[in-house]
Amino acid sequence: MKLLSYIVIILIGTACSSDKDNYVPIENAKLEFTIPSNFPDPTYDIALNPPTEKGFELGKKLFYDGRLASDGVISCGFCHIQDFAFTHHTHIVSHGVGGALGTRNAQPLHNMAFMKEFTWDGAAIHLDLQPIIPITAEVEMNETFNGILKKLEEQPEYVKLFADAFEDQKINSDNMLKAISQFMIMMISANTKYDKIERNEGSVFTAEEAAGFELFKTKCASCHKGTLFTDQSYRNNGLPIDPLYNDIGRKRVTGLTEDIQKFKVPSLRNIELTFPYMHDGRLKTLDDVLNHYSDGMVDSETLDPMLKDQTGALGIPMTAEEKQQIIAFLKTLTDDDFVNDTRFSEF
Amino acid sequence: MKNIIYILIATLVIVSSCKNDDEGTIKTFGNVVLDFKNTINSNGIELTTDSYTNGSNEAYIISELKYIISNVVLIKANGEEFTYPVDRSYFLINEEVLESKKVNLSDISAGQYTKIRFGFGVDQSKYPLNGMANFIPTAEESGMLWSWSAGYKFLKFEGTYTANGAASADFLIHVGSHGTTLDNYKEITLELPSTLTIEESKSPEVAINVDIAKIFDGTNTHSLEVKNSIQVDAEFAPKIAENISTMFTATNVSN
Repeated sequence: MKLLSYIVIILIGTACSSDKDNYVPIENAKLEFTIPSNFPDPTYDIALNPPTEKGFELGKKLFYDGRLASDGVISCGFCHIQDFAFTHHTHIVSHGVGGALGTRNAQPLHNMAFMKEFTWDGAAIHLDLQPIIPITAEVEMNETFNGILKKLEEQPEYVKLFADAFEDQKINSDNMLKAISQFMIMMISANTKYDKIERNEGSVFTAEEAAGFELFKTKCASCHKGTLFTDQSYRNNGLPIDPLYNDIGRKRVTGLTEDIQKFKVPSLRNIELTFPYMHDGRLKTLDDVLNHYSDGMVDSETLDPMLKDQTGALGIPMTAEEKQQIIAFLKTLTDDDFVNDTRFSEF
Repeated sequence: MKNIIYILIATLVIVSSCKNDDEGTIKTFGNVVLDFKNTINSNGIELTTDSYTNGSNEAYIISELKYIISNVVLIKANGEEFTYPVDRSYFLINEEVLESKKVNLSDISAGQYTKIRFGFGVDQSKYPLNGMANFIPTAEESGMLWSWSAGYKFLKFEGTYTANGAASADFLIHVGSHGTTLDNYKEITLELPSTLTIEESKSPEVAINVDIAKIFDGTNTHSLEVKNSIQVDAEFAPKIAENISTMFTATNVSN
């Protein structure tokens, strides 16, 4: 069978005389994309852009390269730092080129292959297209695709990497975005204590964590659903409007009044590391977050109905002890292997 | 074993498909030019100078008119279709740039065609379509990308208007698809007024009249007084997109 494939490859190779005859294709091994046994099927169609060794290497290089920004400094990795599950550590909102401030908190990057839509309001409906937003946004990387492609073409290293990674060997936006996706879809975080318990790999919750998990299931899991800890919907969780941003949330994407102030329910994986919290990073600690859910909520037209009971009382009732138990459980969602995985590290 | 047979067949197809250079016998290919003529009242458009009046009695002057055409398909009388390679099938029509309005299609399978189908905008239900992202640089240069959203503006239509003798105000109409809820991509099929013959070494042309007045007055009537800025608009953008789908007519085929 192997021999036959070789013959086939040779036949195809000789069938059309190409003007790139001198190019000797290198070995570009496919990377194994393994779905964790406790995970759902990926939403990303791996078959259309199967990660390869060279594609991943190229994607990683692009991810950490300031050339993708107009100032040559702000790379993707500038605001998405691995130690903090690829968020912008301690930054309420991130600063882009020229110190310009954004209006939203950088979201973690993990398990992207399993997400349906991207960004806080779902403005990107495919992972391959998501980087268009930070690259072209003035307050982020403030660059153009034309500008980037020109810079990349001048770098022999990139010329070689693109040629090695893609059959058509071209430096173009399609290949560039595919390479970045290949890097991102490999970022699977599924080795937390919680996962090891869910997969019966020998770990056990402490009494506090176990109590927290039970509370979590009744008080949080209707939105932070399943093993990804998000139902991937958009909801208004009762944050008061910050007049500084006056962020309309998902309405920006759909134009619908009913979507005003709704934001994507974030995954809670690695939540211990991804502070500050909420779409605008206004809450510093997990205590602050739970205090918001118990006592900080304000009512509005689009407040999620689940956050209001029949009497009109707002929020999720929790005692101080219950909050500490929930937080103990949330910390079992931290994946040390992921944040220390050298495959994803800049250096 | 089945796999081996498939692989061998595929290989034979690939090997034999590269023999286009050989004389005769196999399929031949030709070109066609689609000539998009933006008009109002059957006259060409004069940007920034001429004033037009819409059905709501509002006088408007156009400063910018751009739109995206994609996914071109030529159709024969028997329904057989020739799909132009999708990765080359994105075109930006810019009123200001003469060449942009003449869309050159090459390597079309020779034959007699009676209909043409194309898309207005970009069909995001097909993401990621091979090569779609390669249209980004073109769209970006012409301001047809939103920087806050990962998508294309399908129509960029801007200018000034006056209504009821009031002072002139700006209008701005941007139509595109956003997220998964607002899809303004439209597929348009046009009957050709006579048969289009594609053959080698010929350069036929199809003239397509684009009645820009229909943006305001098509299936729906849009008054700028009611809304002069349409960007992400769940109510008005779909109505404008519906109007747009009625503005194209194939008026002439010259073989």
